[in-house]
Amino acid sequence: MVSGHSSSENYDFDLVTIGAGSGGTRASRISAQQYGAKVACVELPFDFVATDEKGGAGGTCVIRGCVPKKLLVYGSAFTEEFRDAKGFGWTAEERPPFNWKQLLQKKAKEVERLNGVYKKLLRDTGVELIEGRAKLKDRHTVEVELSGGGTKTVTAKVILLALGGKPVKAPIPGKEYAITSDDALVLDDLPEASIVIVGAGYISVEFSGIFNGMGADVHLMYRKPLPLTGFDEECRQHVSENMTKRGIKLYPSTSPTKIEKRDDGKFTVHYETEGEKAKTIVAAVVMFGTGRAPNTKNIGLEDAGVKLSKKGGIVVDEYSKTSVDNIYAIGDVTERLQLTPVAIMEGMAFTATVFGDKPTKPSFENVPSACFIQPPLAYVGYTEEQAKEKISGEVDVYVSKFKPMKNVLSGRDEKTLMKMLVEVSTDKVIGVHMVGPDAPEILQGIAVAVKSGASKAQFDSTVGIHPSAAEELVTMRNATRRIKCNGKA
Amino acid sequence: MAYAFLRLSGYQVPQPCKSRLLTDLHLASPKAHVRCWSRSTPSARAPYSGLTGFKAVQRSLKGQRSRRLATVVSAKQEDDYDFDLFVIGGGTGGVRTARMSSQFGARVGLCELPLGWVSSDDRGGLGGTCILRGCVPKKLMHYAGSFTEELEDAESFGWQVQEKPQLDWKVMMERKTQELLRLSGVYQKNLESAGVKLIEGRGRITGQHSVEVAGKTFKVKKILVAVGGRPTKAPIEGAEHAIVSDHILNLPDKPAKVVMIGGGYIACEQASIFNSLGSEVHFLIRGPTVLNPMFDEECRIHAGEQYKAAGVKLQLDVTPTKIEKQSNGKLTVTVEPKEGADYTIADADVVLLATGRQPNTKHLGLEEAGVELDDKGGIKVDEFSRSVSADNVYAVGDVTNRVPLTPVARMEGSLLAKHLFGGQKDARCDHSNVASVVFSSPAVAVVGLSEQAAVEKLGNVHVFSSKFTPMKAALRQDKPQALVKVIVDSGSDEVVGFHMVAPDAAEIIQGFATSLKLGITKTQLDDVVGLHPTSAEEFVTLSSPARKYKDGKQVSAG
Repeated sequence: MVSGHSSSENYDFDLVTIGAGSGGTRASRISAQQYGAKVACVELPFDFVATDEKGGAGGTCVIRGCVPKKLLVYGSAFTEEFRDAKGFGWTAEERPPFNWKQLLQKKAKEVERLNGVYKKLLRDTGVELIEGRAKLKDRHTVEVELSGGGTKTVTAKVILLALGGKPVKAPIPGKEYAITSDDALVLDDLPEASIVIVGAGYISVEFSGIFNGMGADVHLMYRKPLPLTGFDEECRQHVSENMTKRGIKLYPSTSPTKIEKRDDGKFTVHYETEGEKAKTIVAAVVMFGTGRAPNTKNIGLEDAGVKLSKKGGIVVDEYSKTSVDNIYAIGDVTERLQLTPVAIMEGMAFTATVFGDKPTKPSFENVPSACFIQPPLAYVGYTEEQAKEKISGEVDVYVSKFKPMKNVLSGRDEKTLMKMLVEVSTDKVIGVHMVGPDAPEILQGIAVAVKSGASKAQFDSTVGIHPSAAEELVTMRNATRRIKCNGKA
Repeated sequence: MAYAFLRLSGYQVPQPCKSRLLTDLHLASPKAHVRCWSRSTPSARAPYSGLTGFKAVQRSLKGQRSRRLATVVSAKQEDDYDFDLFVIGGGTGGVRTARMSSQFGARVGLCELPLGWVSSDDRGGLGGTCILRGCVPKKLMHYAGSFTEELEDAESFGWQVQEKPQLDWKVMMERKTQELLRLSGVYQKNLESAGVKLIEGRGRITGQHSVEVAGKTFKVKKILVAVGGRPTKAPIEGAEHAIVSDHILNLPDKPAKVVMIGGGYIACEQASIFNSLGSEVHFLIRGPTVLNPMFDEECRIHAGEQYKAAGVKLQLDVTPTKIEKQSNGKLTVTVEPKEGADYTIADADVVLLATGRQPNTKHLGLEEAGVELDDKGGIKVDEFSRSVSADNVYAVGDVTNRVPLTPVARMEGSLLAKHLFGGQKDARCDHSNVASVVFSSPAVAVVGLSEQAAVEKLGNVHVFSSKFTPMKAALRQDKPQALVKVIVDSGSDEVVGFHMVAPDAAEIIQGFATSLKLGITKTQLDDVVGLHPTSAEEFVTLSSPARKYKDGKQVSAG
């Protein structure tokens, strides 16, 4: 579509990418390296907490999402490892002292290292990295307020918006006292008193596991009867039981109404649970995991004519093109599937489409996804609820709950849940779900099989790996139930 | 781990092992008057005794006696046979075949030796190698050992471990033993509830249609030999001082110093286990790498390096020539390296000879029955698991020298039951693309072809290979490395092999094994979105080949 092998006619660059997160970095690198495009990438100066002035190469994933949170998940999981070890005959301290500051320093170092890796990857592929705040002047012109002072105006044949998003707080009185997930990843101290976490999307649920594992007293409040809306309901039920067993206090069907600061520096959270009288709880930290919003403000999108959705996301077509012909958008800012590897896939598809003369649509089917609660939840394909809605005909549901071998000796009272959905008419596996240790690792290969159209018979013909948890997925013999689905597909 | 084979969704553990004594059952039919199976429970406190003895059992039972009543009487016998199928051996393959056949309506009998931790001509036990002296005990010990690594990881994450944790060896062994007994009991229960008649004793084929067990002779329509295999010792001078893998899973105390001899997966697993449990481990291998050439060479080299980094004293290209007992009871091993002077490793508490396994085909009457054996003593069978030379004799599992893995034995057993009694005459065994995992630290997992095998077989091959530090190790100083490899037939773009050396490799590779069965292409693999952040996502993000081969010759590197 755009040939960019030589520097473009009248433009400074073939491509200017705004935002050097996962999607923007991948698209910039590949456009330059593989297709010879002249590329600039604009990113804000580095900081751990995202604002209109701060960001950093690597974006949410590296600086305030996947990477730091997974490091904290690992760090917090050892509490349970110490406990499990006893069952195997180890006489260890029940709970050795934990140095939060040390972990955060190491985490910060690792994040900074990765930030450097991202910058280097861009530079090594010949992408010009411009540090500062970008604004669209028109559909071909970007003005950058340089972080070192002054401005720089560049023109581009194609502009790629990879601006990402950031956390938002639910609009209740006193919300200024609450922190977000960005802040939670850089807390100075691990709160010794209670933490109230509001919302039960995967971010809140993961943080409740992190803080609980590190010894904090965690209270998780959410509006729905179960956490993790959108995941398979049976899995949600199972996760919520595991969380309770591990000591997280759950407040289903609950909404906070007000936060007040107390004289001792703590906060009083007022909340209402359906069918009950209003109550309060005192907390050292209140964290809101109440959603994320795309970063589309004060960037001049309106001036360039880029259409936004009601929620503020950039509206794009199947090729990630916005309402303006030469402006594209990928990643969280488009509010499609907000996952790092999805942004990377969108970036690759954009590059192939625009610079590779190979129109490519990113495919959002059978994208695996996980919640790194402990033990984690992972799945690919349909949930049972989605199947009922979207599949026409019957679906066999195979469910297996078992005690993982490690728990047999450790004595941990926790079961793994595995679930497989099979369309009866075709024998195709349309969904696989797991709650248990290693679930995300296990589901990756399963996702390959599901995406490649594996049938139940093909799963069954695979020889298991013994002894593993994963082998259960190739040895599910009898359906637990058969459900009638009322979809049109 | 899943205990999938138990089919006991939601069972609670640990439970005290319920025990029953050997009882005589007097059934209505005189033919069925046989000595029946007991839940003979050897003492859990004598793990190394090898023998168990019913006295110990009786002591430990104290009033738990319960006489099993004969509630299951054989279906009305319309012919002269006692059984439609008689199974010799109650390991994974035998039990699976017996249960399924019985569920298909066949009259099935099964005999197994009394339980003992060390397999011999007189000792075995329901559950076989997998449950009693293989997969399960080694994985439990692997878990126990993995805590050492967890602790090192924990320190890198800010946990300030004050005192070095100590392992109470006896507690670990006793819990392990209890679990194995429980599982053996579950096998028994599953057989009983499927209506299989259990007979304790050594089975022997005495005619085309007759099997003798414990002095009784049964007329049987078909015979299944599922007697498994057991470890063998290489003929080294002083081999009598060495132990085999059956023993090493049952040591009474933690050995301070261990010498492992042999480079196969058993030695690798035990080297890792004892290293992580705190023993000094000397690991002697005759060849230049760990593991056999079924495993990819790059993986073998990488695994060896990682074992070394973890503290295993790995010695490659060496031949142990002599094992001697010192006056203090400890052992000295003399080692002859490929280059340089001989040396000795002294003061070893234990020397493990993990130098191979062989099928248990002796003294079973196989020769008399005309059952042909291969040169390693395995029963030669066709794709239906039928003896190539004796019509109504079948064999599954390790005794056939095909792929000696528990799930393979289970598969062979299922298919045989379907073939014989399930109305699926064409249920053939397919041993292609069977995944295999070495539960060492890190684990080594493989499904499909190695780089070398692919080049030899296909000629035109792209090799994708990546080393990385798993995130869990990212904060450690020593930064252990994982390895993933994908082997692609560059002519067809089809993926022909997945390989991984990483802590979670066993769990990760299962789904890829299914994908390999589907015959997926590299393009299909690349189309799958990663699960971030995991180690497994490395498999779907390998963008350019590390090596390319054309007509069997390497044409580019890096």
